[in-house]
This record gives sequence, structure tokens and C-alpha cells, in this order.
Amino acid sequence: MTGHLGGTGVPLRLWGLTVALAGLVTGLCVSVAGAQSAGLNWPSERPPRPLAAREVRFPPYEVRTLPNGLKVVVVLHHEQPAVTMRLLVGAGAAADPQGKGGTSNLVASLLDQGTTSRTAQQIADQIDSIGGALGTGSGSDLTFANVVVMKDSFGLAMDLLGDVVRNPAFSPDEIDRQKQQAVSALQVSANDPDYVASVVVERLVYGFHPYGLPGSGTEASISGITREDLQAFHKRYFVPNNMILGIVGDVTSEEAFAAADRVFGNWPRADVPAPAPTAPPPSTRRVVVIDKPDAVQTEIRIGQLAIPRKHPDYTAFDVAVKILGGEGANRLQRVLRSERGLTYGAEADTNAMKQAGAYVAETDTRTETTGEVLRLAIDEFGKLPRQRVFERELADAQAYLAGSFPLTIETPNEIATQVLNAVFYDLPMSDIPTYRERVQAVTPDDILRVSQRYIQPDRLSIVLVGNATFFLPQLRAVGFTDVEVIPLDQLDLTSPTLRRDQAPGARTGAGGPRTR
Amino acid sequence: MPVPVAPRRPWRIAGVLAACGLAALVLAPLQAAVHPPKLQYQMTTLPNGLRVILSEDHSTPIVHVSLWYHVGSKNERPGRTGFAHLFEHMMFKGSKNVEPESHTSIIAGVGGRSNAYTTEDETVFWQTLPAHFMPLALWMEADRMATLRVDETAFRREREVVKEERRMRIENQPYGRLSEIIYDHAFTAHPYKHPTIGSMADLEAASIADVREFHDTYYVPENAVLTVVGDFDTAPTLQLITQYFGRIPKAARPVPRDIPKEPAQTRERRVTVEEAWPLPAVVVAYHVTYDGHPDSYPLHITSKILSDGQSARIPRSLVYEKRLALTAFGSGNITEDPNLFYAVAIVQPGRSPAEAEAALIAEFEKLKQEPVTGGELQRAKNQFARDYIVGRESNQDKALHLAHAAVIHNDITTADGEFEIFTNITTADVQRVARTYFNAANRVVIHILPKGTGSR
Repeated sequence: MTGHLGGTGVPLRLWGLTVALAGLVTGLCVSVAGAQSAGLNWPSERPPRPLAAREVRFPPYEVRTLPNGLKVVVVLHHEQPAVTMRLLVGAGAAADPQGKGGTSNLVASLLDQGTTSRTAQQIADQIDSIGGALGTGSGSDLTFANVVVMKDSFGLAMDLLGDVVRNPAFSPDEIDRQKQQAVSALQVSANDPDYVASVVVERLVYGFHPYGLPGSGTEASISGITREDLQAFHKRYFVPNNMILGIVGDVTSEEAFAAADRVFGNWPRADVPAPAPTAPPPSTRRVVVIDKPDAVQTEIRIGQLAIPRKHPDYTAFDVAVKILGGEGANRLQRVLRSERGLTYGAEADTNAMKQAGAYVAETDTRTETTGEVLRLAIDEFGKLPRQRVFERELADAQAYLAGSFPLTIETPNEIATQVLNAVFYDLPMSDIPTYRERVQAVTPDDILRVSQRYIQPDRLSIVLVGNATFFLPQLRAVGFTDVEVIPLDQLDLTSPTLRRDQAPGARTGAGGPRTR
Repeated sequence: MPVPVAPRRPWRIAGVLAACGLAALVLAPLQAAVHPPKLQYQMTTLPNGLRVILSEDHSTPIVHVSLWYHVGSKNERPGRTGFAHLFEHMMFKGSKNVEPESHTSIIAGVGGRSNAYTTEDETVFWQTLPAHFMPLALWMEADRMATLRVDETAFRREREVVKEERRMRIENQPYGRLSEIIYDHAFTAHPYKHPTIGSMADLEAASIADVREFHDTYYVPENAVLTVVGDFDTAPTLQLITQYFGRIPKAARPVPRDIPKEPAQTRERRVTVEEAWPLPAVVVAYHVTYDGHPDSYPLHITSKILSDGQSARIPRSLVYEKRLALTAFGSGNITEDPNLFYAVAIVQPGRSPAEAEAALIAEFEKLKQEPVTGGELQRAKNQFARDYIVGRESNQDKALHLAHAAVIHNDITTADGEFEIFTNITTADVQRVARTYFNAANRVVIHILPKGTGSR
């Protein structure tokens, strides 16, 4: 799955500073004859009134641009004695060279595996011994390095961050190690229906646009990546005017900007090549079944091309998608889970990125109910452009989105995520404090308009990963007759047919006889 | 991108690394400036037995309300595995003044979030919402503690949802059954043998009568701890709590605590099984003690030394140096009753499970034979301090530590007090607990091979 810098933003979960008590988290849940009420004189009453509302203000932050173009975002927060650094580089998997999928991912994983002055083991020793954590990774449009330390190690952590970002060694030994890790990891992912369904739907929605190919690459593309490829990617995109640095937590503003200047200030700016202007293909109906005979559940994805993050319709469309499958509303969840018990969870999300965006719904259900779930879900897609939403339904969604704003500014990193998102997507900074007003201003007519514009129910990309033999008749029964079936071990995302090794002239019929 | 190798358990802790002289050079002494601030709170017990923890934090205008019930999957009767969790879902089916399926949407409608989760030891319901709606969350929690609705149709439908949850989390993803396999082979009598999600057969066998009985037995004030953290004033809030929860009667009978004990294991268990997973997994597990036992603190430190960061011993040895494993870690799952300390390696193609097993066991043996270095110990303490600090940023984090102390330790002061205990651990403590627990007779070794590659 490509990690998008979406609504909730920059991936920061790299270090599992887990509070270990995790158990089974129930998703959204929301009958008759009381269990304990027998004999209990419990009053019938209305919910209590709210107290006086508190003022909600977005906490202070500062954004400065160094002379070399590095944007520095500082969010001060002094409750806990810790500091987080988040460095974003404005290029990710979408900038991988043609046929070299996985390059940015490999660059990211090698940042902390040795620099020109520190070995991989020394870096690990250094960050671990101060009780810090360092994580790197990449998404479609960005590569990142994050560090968290206790406040007294701030200077040391900045030095380390500067070193891994500016001077990675890309030593052949470490490249070999990381390639092996990446290929083994892919082997695991290739057997994970959740992963497979997600990469296939992106491939269908974006076609051969770079967003359509998995950021992790393929076994073949990874093995073809050379040290020179990695160095070239680093040289081209890791330049200060293509980066944003967030410094978040228990430091002073002077300390933060001074450290940024000390570590990155002498780094010269350089031209960054703009992405080749390729447009994703227009939406077309395609139903792809990936056959995994031992699956007990079918992973379902339904998606379509929509709009990039920086687009005037973004807010209205995001609310429309929330009504389909997001927090505060979620028709899919109601229809599939609450009313019928067909799934543990169903949701839809806008994945709006720099060059393009999509919306994708996902759910899973047992093999026996696959056809029923697909039909019900597709019907919900059809309703949005056909029927105006009820005022009440929209109001509920807005109440959640606007009302929960104070919940999104509780921790220093949540605050920083919002600022970094705005800077990264080049949005007006005023979008942050006006978020609630903009959400509240959306009308039922707006929802209808953006739904009619971007939701085309007869042109959806549909992916099902599961026991095909069992559920194919169900699909036909609910009207899906034009279906491509691909055995899991034949899947090849780089092929137009999605199948590997098609001998020239071979037919692609599902298990049909081969004729010449 | 993180690989979806591991199930959702403590080993998300991105494993890594070990030892080294170099560490000592860059040590930031923990005793220096960085000390976590103390949690400020007040604890009260209502006449009906409900414990209430209130902790004001006015930095953001929101409030977190959690209600912990001291019941989890270890309280389940034989033949009813998964019931505590299934019951948790039933708590969203409405109560006298709250319509079925509306709890979540009512909270969302005021801009709040809510959810629940179940572990072996406890069931937790929570909501985080804008501060001025705090009375609503209290009132709704009291309503469902007192007057849960129990409806046959809703029960049957929810059971299907939970079965889908089991398929999704456990059965349909690579390594999803790892934890289930470990616990099934490591335990014989104690209910930790069973997964919290339960078995399909037991979920099917559960009845509406079970729902009523469970609510009457465990969802009573004296078995619960209510924690409120955030932007509120203590005195009027306590008044509201007394109003809403105080009218729930004290339970007629004590909450049962008759959980079967696990007999001591007297000889090593070795098992080989097959699963449809792409790469083999090797598990080396040892029975250890319970949360709060003096040995549990050095065991937490041992988890850090073995697994936290790329320099920790197991990742450095198995992943980096030997290139035996795609991922590997070893850590203690320390819970209310004695549980396991276990190490897992996902074996690289071309390498053998036997090699991985030997490498994991060697790490445990090394802990017994020689003390860890002072640098390693200090590193582990620094990492612990980081977790401690970063793990107390949100109101929900704080509530979790407070409630855990009250429910599992039955001692609220441990929410802060453990920091000192960790600070004082010595290398001798780490070696002593290794010698106490990491012995062959106390060990369970499991090889899980890809289907069709031949178990024997």
C-alpha cells in the first residue's frame, strides 16, 4: 500500500512505542429487555445538557524558510520533556525511475544504514543509547525520516538526523541486506489479501501512472536497482528546497531554528526536476478477482479516480465520501454491519495526493456473502449522485468533522501534522483555523454536485481477493458478468493484463483452453 | 513501509539491536534534567463500590472518559471462549435511555470519538469528546452499566460481526494465528490458553442467557473503574458522577475470581505445525510471572535489551549480523496472571528454522551466563523513560496508566511509582530473573512451517 500523506497525514507510527495492553479493538459499533433492569427503578430521562462551551484555538506554531529553501515548522509544547523531528522530502515512490519500482523505498530504508562517517551499527547504537527512536520510510509523494528523543538529546538528535539525510553511504553490503529484506517482505505481503487488494485497486484506478504501481516495487524491479540508482535519487531529490523540517515539542523557538540552521543551513539549494506530466487514465469499469482458494474471507475494494489534494472541491468531496464511508456518518457501515452483520467494518476514504487523487471503499466479508456485499456496496455508490442527502445526515457528518477539531490538536505531533500537511500540499495556512467553518458551509447541493461530478457508478474499479471458485456464481447472480479472474500466483501489476508471463497469442480466458 | 508481518501485539515494537562500548560514550544520564512530570489525580470510591479517578488537564478543551471493567477472556467459562469480547459488542446495543446502535453516533454527533476493546484481563469502554459534552459520556456509560438492553436478533447479528472480526484479524492474514498457536501450546489449564477473540464453535454456542448472566456478574460498580482526564473541574464532576452512577445498586454477590491456575511446566515442550504462511516462524517461549511481581520489572528491561531498536540483541544478531530472519524480537507479555516471555523469528528464505531456534536460545542463555553491560542497561532505562514520557502525552494515555494501576495492580500509586523501580534495576537483577525463568524445562519451542513443506 502506498503511504499517502492524506487527511490524517504524515506517517508517524514508525516506532511502536506501544502501550502494550492492546487487545481487540471493536470498530464502530453503535434491542430489548434490560439485563439488570429487573427490579431496578431506573429513571426515563433525556441526555444531560452540555456545559458552557470552551474556546478552541489552534495552538501557536511558526514556519520559516531558510535562505537555502528549507522550510522549518516549529510547534512548541512543554508538557512532556520530549522533542520530535520530522523531515519530509518532496519525492517518493512516484519519482522512482521507470522499471525501478522500490527505489525510494530502498533509499529510505538505507538512510539509517550507514553514512560517510558512521556505520549502520553506530547509528543504531547512538540513537538507542539515548533512548531515542529513528524511523524512515517513503510514500507516493514523499520520503521521510523521523526522530524522537528526550529533550536533553535534542542537539545530538539533530546532528544525527542531518547526517543520515545528507550523507547516506549506500554501501553495497547494506544495499544487499535491505534488498533481501524488501524481497522477503514482499513475499509475505503477496500472501496478505489486504495488501493485495489494496495494490490492485490502486493499479486499476491509476493505471500506469506512477501512483498505480506499488511503492514497495516487485521482486524483479528491486533486484534491478543499482547503487547508482539510489545515489542518483538521493542527489536529485534530497535538496533543502525540496524539504520540510518539523521540530515539535519541548524546545524553545530560538533553539529549534538555530539547530535547523546549524545542521542544514550550509546545504546548497539545487534544481529539482518536476514530475513528468502524465495523467491517469479515465475511469473505466473493471472487475478483477484475485483467486486465493484458501481464503476464508473476501477482501473487497471499490475505487475511482477523483481529485488531487489541492483542489477547490476537496472539502465538499471529502464530506461526500465521509457520508459514504467515514467517521460520523458511514452508510456502508450501517448497511453492511449494523443492519446485516455481514462484515466487521466498511469504510471509504479520499486518498488525495499531489498530482491526482482517488476515493476507495474497503470491506471484507465471508466467502458465502461476497456477492451480496458487493451488490449492497455498489448500490450505495449509486445513491450519492442520484439522491440529495438528507439535511440531517449531512448535519451529523458536519457535526462530527467540525466538532472533533479540538480532538485533533491534543498532542504536539497532531498539531504538527496539520501544519506539515498544509505546507506540504501548498495550501493556504488559513485553511487550518477555518477548517470548521469550511466544513459547516457545505450544503446538500454541494454534495450532490461533487458526487455527480466524481462518482460514476458504472465506471468503478472493483477488486475481490478470495476463494473465486466459490463466489463467482454469486457475482453473476447479482449482475457482475464481466469479470477477470487471476490466480494469486499469476498476479503481475506491471502487465496490462495483470497476469505474468503471457506467451504472445495466448488467450486470457479464466482457465479456458489455450488455442493458437 | 512497515511489513504487515506481525499481528497486533507488543511486537509491533519495531525490533532492533544490542550491546556496545560505543553506547557508553553518548549516554545521556537518565538522572539528569529529564524526569517525567507526576500525574495529578484524585481517587474516590462511591458507596456502591465504583472507583472513580479524576485527573484535570486544561491544556486542550477535551475530556477522555474511560470505564474499565475488570473482566476479560480469562474470566470465560469453558466452552464460551470469546464471550467477554462478544459481550463488549453487546454494550453498544442500547440501554433504557439510549437507542440501539446509537452510542457511537450520539458521541460522534457532538464531535467525539468512542470505542471499546477487550483483553485477557479487562474490558475497556472509552470516549474522547469536546470538554463541554463530558456529562453526556458519563450519563451514557451509567445507563448501559445499569440497564443494558438484551435482544435476541441483535445478539445473533452481532455474533456474525464478531465472526467476521475473527476471520479478518486471525484467519485470513499471514501470521494472524501466531499468538493463538503459541498460547494453545504453552498453556494447559489457565484460560490464557484461549485467544480473546474465541473459537468459532464457542461463539456459535453462546446464548442470550449468557449475555444476561455476564452483565449481572461482571458489569457491576465494584468491578469497574471510571477514569476522567482532561479539561474539567473536579468537584462538580464528582457530583455528576455521584448522580449518574451512585444510583446503581451494589452488586448482590461478590465478583467471582476463581480462575484455574496453570501448573508449573516440568519439561520442555516442542511442537511443529504447518500453516499457509509464506515464511517459517520459530517461537521460543518461557513461562514467567505476573504484572507487578518484583521480577516483572527486570523482565521489562530484558525485553528492551533483547528487542528495542536496531542495536538490541535479537535484531542485531538474527536480522543484521546473521541475516537469519526477516524480523525477530523477544519480549515479555506481562499480564495480571503469570504469562509468557517469548521470542519469534520469521525465517529468511534459504535459512532453516533450526538455525533460528538455536540463535534465539543462545540469546536467552547469554543473559544467564553473563550480566548485561552497564551501557546496555542504561540504554534500556533511557528507552523505558522515552516510552514513559511519550506514552503520557494524551488524555487517553494518562487514563490508561491510571486505570491500569487501579484495576490490575489494585494500587493507583503504581501509575507513577514504577518509574523509580525501573531506575533502580541493576545488571544483577536482569541476570537473576534470566536464571529464574529462561530454563529448558520451562520452555516451549514451536516451529511453524509453510503448508506442504512437511512437519514431522
